[in-house]
Amino acid sequence: MKYHVITLGCQMNLSDSERVISVLDEAGYEWTDNEEEAGLIGILACSVRQKAIDKVYSRIHKWNKWKDHKNLVTFISGCILPNDHEKFLKLFDITFQMKDLPKLPEMISRYGVTTPAQLKIGIDPHNENIERFWNVKPSYQSNYEAFIPIQNGCDKFCSFCAVPYTRGREVSRPSKDILAELALLVAQGFKSITLLGQNVNSYGLDKKGEEVTFPELLRQIGEMGKRLKKEFWVYFTSPHPRDMTDEVIEVIAQYPVLAKQIHLPMQSGDDKVLIRMNRKHNMGKYRDIVHSIRRLIPEATLFTDIIVGFTGETEEQFENTRRAMEEFKFNMSYTAMYSPRPGATSHRWDDDVSQDEKKRRLHVLTEELRKYNVPYNKSLVDKTLRVLVRGADRKEGYLSSLTEGKLIVRFASNNKDLIGQFADVKVVSASDFSLEGELVKVKEAVTQ
Amino acid sequence: MREFKVEIIRYLTDSTYVVRIKRNGFKFQTGQFVMLSPEKLAQQREYSVYSGENDPYIEVLIREVKDGDTSKRLKLLHPGDKLKLDGPFGFFNFHPDKFTGDLFLFVATGTGISPFHSFIRTFPKLNYHLIHGVRYGHEAYEHDDFAKDRITLCTSGDSSGDFEGRVTDYVTLQKLNPDTNCFLCGNSEMITEMFDILTAKGVPVSNIYSEVYF
Ligand SMILES: Cc1cc2nc3c(=O)[nH]c(=O)nc-3n(C[C@H](O)[C@H](O)[C@H](O)COP(=O)(O)OP(=O)(O)OC[C@H]3O[C@@H](n4cnc5c(N)ncnc54)[C@H](O)[C@@H]3O)c2cc1C
Ligand code: SF4
Repeated sequence: MKYHVITLGCQMNLSDSERVISVLDEAGYEWTDNEEEAGLIGILACSVRQKAIDKVYSRIHKWNKWKDHKNLVTFISGCILPNDHEKFLKLFDITFQMKDLPKLPEMISRYGVTTPAQLKIGIDPHNENIERFWNVKPSYQSNYEAFIPIQNGCDKFCSFCAVPYTRGREVSRPSKDILAELALLVAQGFKSITLLGQNVNSYGLDKKGEEVTFPELLRQIGEMGKRLKKEFWVYFTSPHPRDMTDEVIEVIAQYPVLAKQIHLPMQSGDDKVLIRMNRKHNMGKYRDIVHSIRRLIPEATLFTDIIVGFTGETEEQFENTRRAMEEFKFNMSYTAMYSPRPGATSHRWDDDVSQDEKKRRLHVLTEELRKYNVPYNKSLVDKTLRVLVRGADRKEGYLSSLTEGKLIVRFASNNKDLIGQFADVKVVSASDFSLEGELVKVKEAVTQ
Repeated sequence: MREFKVEIIRYLTDSTYVVRIKRNGFKFQTGQFVMLSPEKLAQQREYSVYSGENDPYIEVLIREVKDGDTSKRLKLLHPGDKLKLDGPFGFFNFHPDKFTGDLFLFVATGTGISPFHSFIRTFPKLNYHLIHGVRYGHEAYEHDDFAKDRITLCTSGDSSGDFEGRVTDYVTLQKLNPDTNCFLCGNSEMITEMFDILTAKGVPVSNIYSEVYF
């Protein structure tokens, strides 16, 4: 039977879908790009955004109509709020939590009879037995970039976010399994590996004394890098400033395989907005972390997440965010206009900054980012950078690549064999959000 | 999420009540909150623990919110009924040894008094001053549990309190040692306004801790 899976939402869902695909392939199902041809269709949903949830409803109504003239089994998993879960039970043949993924083929074979039991079970916020899911070997969608889930769930309860309600409590994956998966990926030639978790650097906090801490996990990965004598870059996302200790930064500085790129969500540059967001860190703490990064890893690039127009954000508070951008000179900011997310605490508050004002604030920050990126990128001209080639660029006759700091560099080449390889590229020109270079050499450096 | 049994409910006003729940070995640090849900698959909501770390039960202080779902349903519980409880969560946890100095200012609006009630039940010898803001005097929830000289009631809707006006008006008029550890709990308007008032009085941001309810 042919199957099709639609993935909505964030990187975490994309990573989960690699495991879903692997389970279905293993069970003998055959992937199709065309959902009309499939006998089994699934969605990895995202209750966190209203638009994504609207998409689920429109799809399932369409698919349920198809059932009048064809045999079709539907399933849903992913980030689902308890209220949506109740509704989906009636609309989909199968709903399951990721921790039960290994049982999916069994559920498909006896679909239809599980619903009453599932109704009783509801969503288990404790993620018990999630190890079973982590042990599923994923079907990686690339042969040089991969994601390793190391932690699931969140206990932070930021007021704008529904993840603690959809993904449940923080659970850390056993470090020996993480290290084993990493070693396997490196042996298979993967070069960019990202440790993934909703709150990646609170790794180990749920198993204090029984499991290693996050910096210790990074240290063990660094040591593995030294032993394996292969070139690869290890990233992690998304961390929370609260758990970002100097020890984490020191370990990154110490080991070459730990990529010198840090994603540190700021969300707002104003202490009062941070209080309303329930971020549990203030700008003083954020500033201290950035200073430590600049001191210990001066070459690191710094990425952030920012929300503009959060409930009650005044012009003055927004101005503090703009000033923070000026101060920290981020290399990249994923800036979002605030939209209330069903299930999150702030969904109950007035969304009182107008859409036009949010757009304006977004524009101001984008310009701010551009302003600081230009001199930074220009400072790289004439330098030779190590890059990982990722595919054809939009510009004809060029390939696109990423530096260790995740800056985009394109260079003239039609050689598709370079994709997935490390190369040295000399930067010849720079613009606000990308660099252009010339290929110097392609080599498999082993300099750990 | 574990099931817990309701022991008793105390009604303090028409809308505010305390639910006492069988402890069942539940561990928490004073200042943390739990997620409660009156029945399976229903919404869960956050409630600070009202009782102390050493009390043989768990208590939460809840105000029924107009058009509220969970706060209304929890009010209808009876002794012996079950509810779902998850946690503990949060970073408003308190231990006097974790702070420099021994001056503590607690400011609460409405049921935001709950974690402070838990603080002083856990650490009865604390050197604190609590300022509690409500609309009317009858909302001075169980003030007898606090030392009289350590609590100030601010009433904004009548003159029955120690001070007529909002907590922000009261604090604005007070002298404050900038080394005070300030804890704010309740609605976000109070917390953000108080943040400005305290920083203007020289209290560093790092000495201000907050728990936003709404
Ligand atoms: C960390 C934390 C701790 C909390 N601790 C307590 C506590 O100890 N005691 C307590 O009573 N509450 C506490 N709350 C608030 C509580 O979690 C719920 O928000 C509240 O009980 C309303 O839930 P509901 O389902 O009844 O109302 P909902 O159905 O969520 O809301 C109904 C309507 O009331 C409005 N509303 C929601 N909450 C409030 C509110 N608090 N004040 C005014 N209007 C509101 C909404 O905008 C909506 O229009 C806490 C909240 C947080 C985040
Ligand atoms: S935004 Fe906050 S609540 Fe949401 S996943 Fe990140 S830390 Fe958790």
